[in-house]
Amino acid sequence: MTRNQQLSSDMLKGTLDMMILRTLTTGDAHGHTIAKVIERSSEDVLEVEQGSLYPALHRLENRGWLASYWGASENNRKAKYYRLTQAGRRRLTLEAGRWRRMARAIALVMGEHTGEKVTEGGTE
Amino acid sequence: MNPLRFFRRRRQDADLDREIAAHMEAERAENMARGFSGEEAERRARIKFGSERRVHEELWQQNSFAFLEGILRDFKYALRSLTKSSGFAVTVVLIMALGIGANTAVFSVMNAVLLKSLPVADPGRVFYLYIDGQPDGASNTGDSDSSFSWPVYDALRRQDHALSDVMAYVPLSNDGKVAVRFGNSAEVAEGDMVSGNFFSSLGVHIARGRGFSAQDEAQHAPVIVLSYNYWSRRFSRSPDVLGSTFYIKGVPLTVVGIAAEGFEGTEAGNSVDFWIPLQSRRELNAWGTPAVDGKTYLAQPNWWCLRLLARLAPGISQKQALAQTQTVLAQAAFIGINPRPGQKPPVLTLHPAKAFPGYEEQYGMPLKMMMAMVALVLLIALSNVAMLLIARNASRQREFSVRLSLGAGSMQLLRQLLAESAVLVAAAGALSWFFAGVGTHALAHWAQIDSSLAPDTTALSFTLAVLVLAALFFGLAPLHVSLAGGTGLALRSASAVLNRSAGNSRSARVVVALQMALCLTLLVAAGLLVRTLSNLQNTPLGFKSNGLVAFGINPQQARTVNESIAFYQRLLGSLRALPGVEAVSLSENRPGSGWSNNDGVPMIDGHKPPNSDGEQGLIRLNNVGPDFFHTLGIPILAGRDFADADTRHAAGVAIVNQTFAQRFLPNQDPVGHNIGKRDWTQHAQIVGVVKDHKYTGITEHTIPMLWMPYTHANTVGEMHVEMRVAGDALAILPVAQNAVRQIDPDLPLLQPMLQQEQFERSISQQILFARLAECFGLLAIALVATGIYGTLAYRVARRTAEIGVRMALGAQRSQVVWMVLRGSLWLTLIGLVAGAPLVILMSHYLASALYQVKPFDAITYVAAILGLALVALIASLLPALRAARLDPVQALRTE
Repeated sequence: MTRNQQLSSDMLKGTLDMMILRTLTTGDAHGHTIAKVIERSSEDVLEVEQGSLYPALHRLENRGWLASYWGASENNRKAKYYRLTQAGRRRLTLEAGRWRRMARAIALVMGEHTGEKVTEGGTE
Repeated sequence: MNPLRFFRRRRQDADLDREIAAHMEAERAENMARGFSGEEAERRARIKFGSERRVHEELWQQNSFAFLEGILRDFKYALRSLTKSSGFAVTVVLIMALGIGANTAVFSVMNAVLLKSLPVADPGRVFYLYIDGQPDGASNTGDSDSSFSWPVYDALRRQDHALSDVMAYVPLSNDGKVAVRFGNSAEVAEGDMVSGNFFSSLGVHIARGRGFSAQDEAQHAPVIVLSYNYWSRRFSRSPDVLGSTFYIKGVPLTVVGIAAEGFEGTEAGNSVDFWIPLQSRRELNAWGTPAVDGKTYLAQPNWWCLRLLARLAPGISQKQALAQTQTVLAQAAFIGINPRPGQKPPVLTLHPAKAFPGYEEQYGMPLKMMMAMVALVLLIALSNVAMLLIARNASRQREFSVRLSLGAGSMQLLRQLLAESAVLVAAAGALSWFFAGVGTHALAHWAQIDSSLAPDTTALSFTLAVLVLAALFFGLAPLHVSLAGGTGLALRSASAVLNRSAGNSRSARVVVALQMALCLTLLVAAGLLVRTLSNLQNTPLGFKSNGLVAFGINPQQARTVNESIAFYQRLLGSLRALPGVEAVSLSENRPGSGWSNNDGVPMIDGHKPPNSDGEQGLIRLNNVGPDFFHTLGIPILAGRDFADADTRHAAGVAIVNQTFAQRFLPNQDPVGHNIGKRDWTQHAQIVGVVKDHKYTGITEHTIPMLWMPYTHANTVGEMHVEMRVAGDALAILPVAQNAVRQIDPDLPLLQPMLQQEQFERSISQQILFARLAECFGLLAIALVATGIYGTLAYRVARRTAEIGVRMALGAQRSQVVWMVLRGSLWLTLIGLVAGAPLVILMSHYLASALYQVKPFDAITYVAAILGLALVALIASLLPALRAARLDPVQALRTE
């Protein structure tokens, strides 16, 4: 039980990391903007708990995939901006590729072949 | 991952705070834009964000090393808990540091003196040559079993089968130092004359310049190699020294090399400052002895004065080498000597160069005894530390149990105890390094090992390791008990815990009894040695040593005996004229220095005197100046003192001591008798008899003595001036130096000191030995007192409730005191009895180091036993009185 939860949260962490990296390809942004962009571009399906974004941001920064600086936000308040580094870009390419293969594989499994397999299994 | 993040956590946390604040502000602004009221906008933003706390915690953990953090926490806790019981911590650290420090110091010195080998290449193949049975007719300087004549050296080095190299060396002075001059500064330094192969065959590297060659020896080249130490000390390692001129006794020599660092000669304890090739000049004769008839050691084939070292040829065993060399020695030994028919040649032996010669006999026994004493002290210290740790941790068992029941893991408790032990050991280790350093230097100073002696790291790490293991073992032992007892212990009453620790306190009592036994041994040893020292110091010298000052003089310019005598007459004249000087005289061998001319009994009135056979046939001689006995304050029993009138051309005169007169001229007036020997230049008439007094040293047995005027000696070289001065005796030295300079500006005063000090030096070993034993004894008794006090105080504390009950039931205070005391008095008795065999064994071994004290000296024994009993009583009286002062009501309430 504990193990499964751990596993799923690992998976989620991985995808959240990838989405953050993707969001930042369009330009530097602070945490709030990143959360909004992920929400909006997923058509509000992926509504992240905004708090969990920050440990992820710091982790990515510690790994050298993001850099950060303090800048002024749209409403002229000090905010911490994140920027994608070269290493981060490479990481994103890697993660995105893996994700696409995985998505395709899942799609294949979940696609029209599913029925056949079941019937085949049934006929036997 | 950057480990520095660990230390930046606090700043990052503050950063995160601001970041989150910015986020909330943005979200709230957005919500307000959507039309929510301020409060609602804030609420929604908070819901959307989730727990701020969790974000903080997650990030904090991300940047943590759980392990490191745990260790840091453990150490903080350990420091806190040790500061809370700082008395305990300081005691344990001090005990450990003293134990380790003393042990390391003694071991380091012992290692340097007894175990360290010569710093030469392949020392296993290098041997000192020794002989048994110097031929009759040989004259000798140095130790008779390790001196060789020039012809023997020459013959030995010519053989080339057994020994690949034979190296010779001989000091330039018989009291260590010779007068040297560099530039304008005259001073003294220690130097050896050596064979040409000395450095190359020993395998001693030359740090700068060059060493010597066979050619240097053959041509007696005026070149000199300085020791690295002397070069550093005297010349601050200036490279300009190479090639410059250095005067030894006024003879100019060129500095050609600096020997390798750490090489300070081939005799332990002497640190040689320079070496020169074997010389043929009269000024540079072996041992600084004046050349007889202008002949140096090279031309005196019967003078055995060179010391020899040899390196075995490859593939030759020690036995083979001896067999082959013995025949060479047998032939060469009688060169220059008319052997009696059937006289046996000396027998050669080899002593490994692994150990410095002569050191084993001189310092071996004292150092080993000291090592044994230190071991005893260390044992007492160790058991004390163990007891303190056991007592402290036993009293913490409830604490451990409470913490276990509150959810602490056994691992956490273990780590904490480890951390405490580590803090204690680290502090003790640092302090012991300091103690070891101080101790080693003090000991090395005593043993007169000038070579740079540092605490031995192996010894230090070894003792430290033993203590670490002990600290770990005893520090962790209570944990085992607590874990076995489990959490239940927390809920039980103290008296229940008391039963549990009964076993502990029994072992503690055994340890205390053992400590008593060891301590008694040390105290008796210290007592015996202190009594020996006081006997030595109270031994009458037989002359007035107060106000008497002595220094050596070596007239370098004097070439003949007459010139020397003229020099000394002039010197005596100018010294006598100095203000405050009451009397001045000269002696060839300075009293108390250990040097003496020994000889067989001369003919008296042309006959062999009675009582002069065997061991009684040895007399000591000294050549002295006018007024010698008057200057030293030695009573003249009959006849007269030497006078200025006893010149070289005056009639031969001699003075004898009481023992001489009584033994060889019994029942008659010795004055007027004639003494002489076939080879003496002239006969002498006894003109005086003086009272017996000490000559070579304090421990010397009275021996027949004979004095002659120095003016009648065959050779006159270095002499020692004795001055009796009114007032501050040492203050005369600079004045005397000035007077000497006016005669010869190059002459330094050699080894100037009070005559009293000269005699004290002859017992310096006993002084230090006794002082150290005293220190060890005091240390031991202090440790034992701490041990007794600690155990009893702890037991009283544990029995507070019980004592309260007893007193509530009517026990008198005196009964309580007796109850506590009784136990420790029994322990003392048991300890004393158990110590008896150890004390007897120790006294037996110590016997040879004692002077006028029997190994089973009743006073010492009684004093040691009473002293120990008294200390035990005082140490136990304190907790006993505390127990008696308990308020029963208060005591019962502590439950």
